[in-house]
Amino acid sequence: MKISLNWLKEYVPNIKKNDIFTEELTSLGLEVSSIVKTKKDTIIDIDMTPNRADCLSIIGIARDISPIYKKKISLPKYIKFVKSKENIFSNIDKKISPSYSVLVIKSIDNSVATPLFIKERLEACGLKKINFIVDVLNYVMLENGQPMHAFDGQKFTGNINVRYAKKNEKLNALDGQSYALTTDTPVISDDEKPQAIAGVIGSEDSSVSVKTKSIIIESAYFTPNIIRKSSKFFRLQTDASYRFERGVDPLLNEYSLGRVLTILKEYTDIDNYFFNQSSASKIAKHIDKSILINPDLFESSLGIKIPSSFIVQTLKYLGFNPEKKKTRLKITVPSHRFDIAIPEDLVEEVARVYGYNNFTPTLSSNSINNIRNTSDKTNDYSDSLVARGYNEVISFSFIPKGDQDNHILRSKIISLMNPISEDKAELRGSMINSILNTCSYNFSRKNLNLRIFESGKTYIKHSDKKVIEENIFAGAISGVNSESNLKNDQDKLSFFDLKGDLLSVLPNLSFETYAGINYLSKTCQAVIKQNNKIVGYCGEPDKSLYAQYSIKNTIFYFELMIDKIVGAEDIKYKKISIFPKIKRDLTILVDDNILANDITDAVERKSFNYMINIKISDIFYNKAEFGMGKKSMTIEFMFQDKLSTLTDNQISDEMTKIISLLKNKHEAIIRI
Amino acid sequence: MPKNYTSLISELREKLKECKSPHDVANIKAHYLGKTGIVTNEFGKLKDSGLEERKELGKSLNILKNQTQELITLELNNIQKAKENDNFVDVTLPGKNISMGSRHPISITINKITSILSSYGFASVSGIEIEDEFHNFEALNIPDTHPARDMHDTFYVSDNKLLRTHTSSVQIRSMLSNKAPLKIMTPGKVYRCDSDPTHSPMFHQIEGLYVDKNVNFCHLKGVLINFIKEFFGKDMEIRFRPSYFPFTEPSAELDIKFKGKWLEVLGCGMVHPNVLSNVKINTKQYSGFAFGLGIERLAMLKYDIVDLRMFYENDISFLSQFKGLK
Repeated sequence: MKISLNWLKEYVPNIKKNDIFTEELTSLGLEVSSIVKTKKDTIIDIDMTPNRADCLSIIGIARDISPIYKKKISLPKYIKFVKSKENIFSNIDKKISPSYSVLVIKSIDNSVATPLFIKERLEACGLKKINFIVDVLNYVMLENGQPMHAFDGQKFTGNINVRYAKKNEKLNALDGQSYALTTDTPVISDDEKPQAIAGVIGSEDSSVSVKTKSIIIESAYFTPNIIRKSSKFFRLQTDASYRFERGVDPLLNEYSLGRVLTILKEYTDIDNYFFNQSSASKIAKHIDKSILINPDLFESSLGIKIPSSFIVQTLKYLGFNPEKKKTRLKITVPSHRFDIAIPEDLVEEVARVYGYNNFTPTLSSNSINNIRNTSDKTNDYSDSLVARGYNEVISFSFIPKGDQDNHILRSKIISLMNPISEDKAELRGSMINSILNTCSYNFSRKNLNLRIFESGKTYIKHSDKKVIEENIFAGAISGVNSESNLKNDQDKLSFFDLKGDLLSVLPNLSFETYAGINYLSKTCQAVIKQNNKIVGYCGEPDKSLYAQYSIKNTIFYFELMIDKIVGAEDIKYKKISIFPKIKRDLTILVDDNILANDITDAVERKSFNYMINIKISDIFYNKAEFGMGKKSMTIEFMFQDKLSTLTDNQISDEMTKIISLLKNKHEAIIRI
Repeated sequence: MPKNYTSLISELREKLKECKSPHDVANIKAHYLGKTGIVTNEFGKLKDSGLEERKELGKSLNILKNQTQELITLELNNIQKAKENDNFVDVTLPGKNISMGSRHPISITINKITSILSSYGFASVSGIEIEDEFHNFEALNIPDTHPARDMHDTFYVSDNKLLRTHTSSVQIRSMLSNKAPLKIMTPGKVYRCDSDPTHSPMFHQIEGLYVDKNVNFCHLKGVLINFIKEFFGKDMEIRFRPSYFPFTEPSAELDIKFKGKWLEVLGCGMVHPNVLSNVKINTKQYSGFAFGLGIERLAMLKYDIVDLRMFYENDISFLSQFKGLK
């Protein structure tokens, strides 16, 4: 909200220099977003928090700074009304407007020029000059925060109604728009039709012009929620609705009309007028409210002792009425403070005047915690992959509509009811889309050598009520091992690079051939297991996904279900043998469909004596020599005993047993 | 020196030129200086000559011997040197398998924040992202009428399910299951219907919550002032100013002076009694403070990043700039 410094000085004359005053306002919670000097004035723009409706006026701000300048604010003079015999009210819905006042002026000359000081102040506060009457109403609104609206008396047929609109009613509003009203729209109407959307905007028909001869000025308290809904529904925010939806002082509407009349009378003749008011018995929840507060709360909540005289004085300046009630304070809340409901609210009032920056920072001493950290395995895995050349990425949890239809059932997909755009319409049910999208983005920017991973959630609808969020650690590789290498040293990354990287992070993973994941290729797909439990999948993406993301480069993808993975268990030291290790190689010819795992598993399961390690060290094909469907495999065995040096015979005995096992089980032919 | 000696020397020179290895040189050395070598044999001739002649010849022979020795040693050194050159390594060639990746600047920032806060005793807690209105709004004293609760600001996936708009929902869940005292921090993704250069529909937050006996506003300031100093690694000009959040009372915002301007970095306050009551914590016994900050904002300040969108585009050229940070 923009305010004129000159105007404010009418209430608080001794305001300090601009930069100090800016700090003062900000430290009260009235954050200054800009301060601009003009020829005669200084315009201060304040970002108002939504709870401080009471500060949307010059007097409101003056009152808020009054404890600092020790200046009690009093309201400007006004004309008091007497009860009128005349009545213009027909039906006033007290739920819409618990307090509704009008001033009817039967004869007025609106061709009078707006006084210069009013014009200047409206302009300073960012309001346009319109005509004498409207300008005076706006002026009083800026002065004390009460929005008012004037109807042209001659265009107004019969009496005033405050009601909800009827079906098919509409309003041609002051902004030139035509609004189709609903039965939820609160309106001000004459006996024929709506003349305003209550608290938001008036009709073009009954608007006041320089030719206007008689007026009906409305000054009301509207129920904030009702105005908020209607303003939102029509997507229409006006200076009036902005104030009404935050809450205008419910006891201000009569005074404001008296204030308007005072100003009007100074510039034009007005004799024939009357005042009407409709009031609910309980105008607003917070009227006549008082809060009992234990003065110790100030110290226990704020951490320092604030003198009680400071507390009492501050609250008085702000319009509260504090009274001592034995050991406690009874504090009556003024009608303009919608936001004060509990003792802690009063603590904040005192604290902000005392100055948040005047509290001494203290470190608490009781800081033993009984909450355990949620273990963050992914942070460790991430660091390991980074050391192996991976870049961590973070993608949106949203993906475009239709992107996952190929691999996730529609009934399992979670869609946003109000997406921000079509390309962020659904939550990802798998990480593959996010990872491939990142690959594609980078490929198109000539970043062809990629190693990436992401740690994030996937979201699946389990039933109508239940959704499943799963923590996934996924990634992909593509291109060569290191583009900075000499050409000779550059190798194309393969599935085995990916497998090696994963094993370096989690050494006890095992990989088995698989075909159950429909977004991975059938010929290069593995299920990843840990302790015989499925913990993830990896392989090459399916062709359809390559096409979907226009990817021509080869990618290898992995995903691990992080919550199913067991971290390194308690490691117990095993005694190291001091006797020599002996290595034996065996080269066999087997059917092509025998996998590396088949060989090593078969041997490992039998647990041969002294064997401490087995690994496949070479594999090759030679159709001419071995024939179709055969391959040669070299297996490396390592033997060691804990108690003695092994003899050649001891090892040969074991090798003989191993050979016969492989012959029987896999029809292996021994080559060497 | 006798003529035949001069030719002997030039012959030796020729032979040495053809040597390729120290072994070849050794052969030549044997051929000239060995027991039956050419030069050794010449010395044998001494005893056959006259005294005067012997004196003269002896001198020449010594010169011959020394020259031979010298030439052979020289050649041996040359060959050795040449061999060393074969092993020469051009250390300026590219290094091999340079494989250092990088953490995402968001993760780096979260790690930095959590490591500072954990030294103050805050335990890290995470939670679900698809929340209900109770945990995201009602329990936090955010009324039905609050603008955050309509569909302009919050993503809904069904009538009651929404993408959490802050990680405060995790605090609610943690307080409900752990009660007081507790001291937790909750990093994570949050979502709001907002998209422009300074707002992203998804971003990251971390919130802190401390509930215990006798917790007050000065403690809140103590934690936050130390935190900001430690995060930026230097004394920053800091100010607290009153603000408004439904879930704290009093509420404050913390600004830091950055390049001459005050910038808002976090919101905080004393936990609103209604929030504590909602999670069945006795407000007569316990009080608490809470704070929340946007990770992206701090990362942007710390690393001079000007466009928020960089964080989610994942361009490797952007990500690789954060090598070496954890």
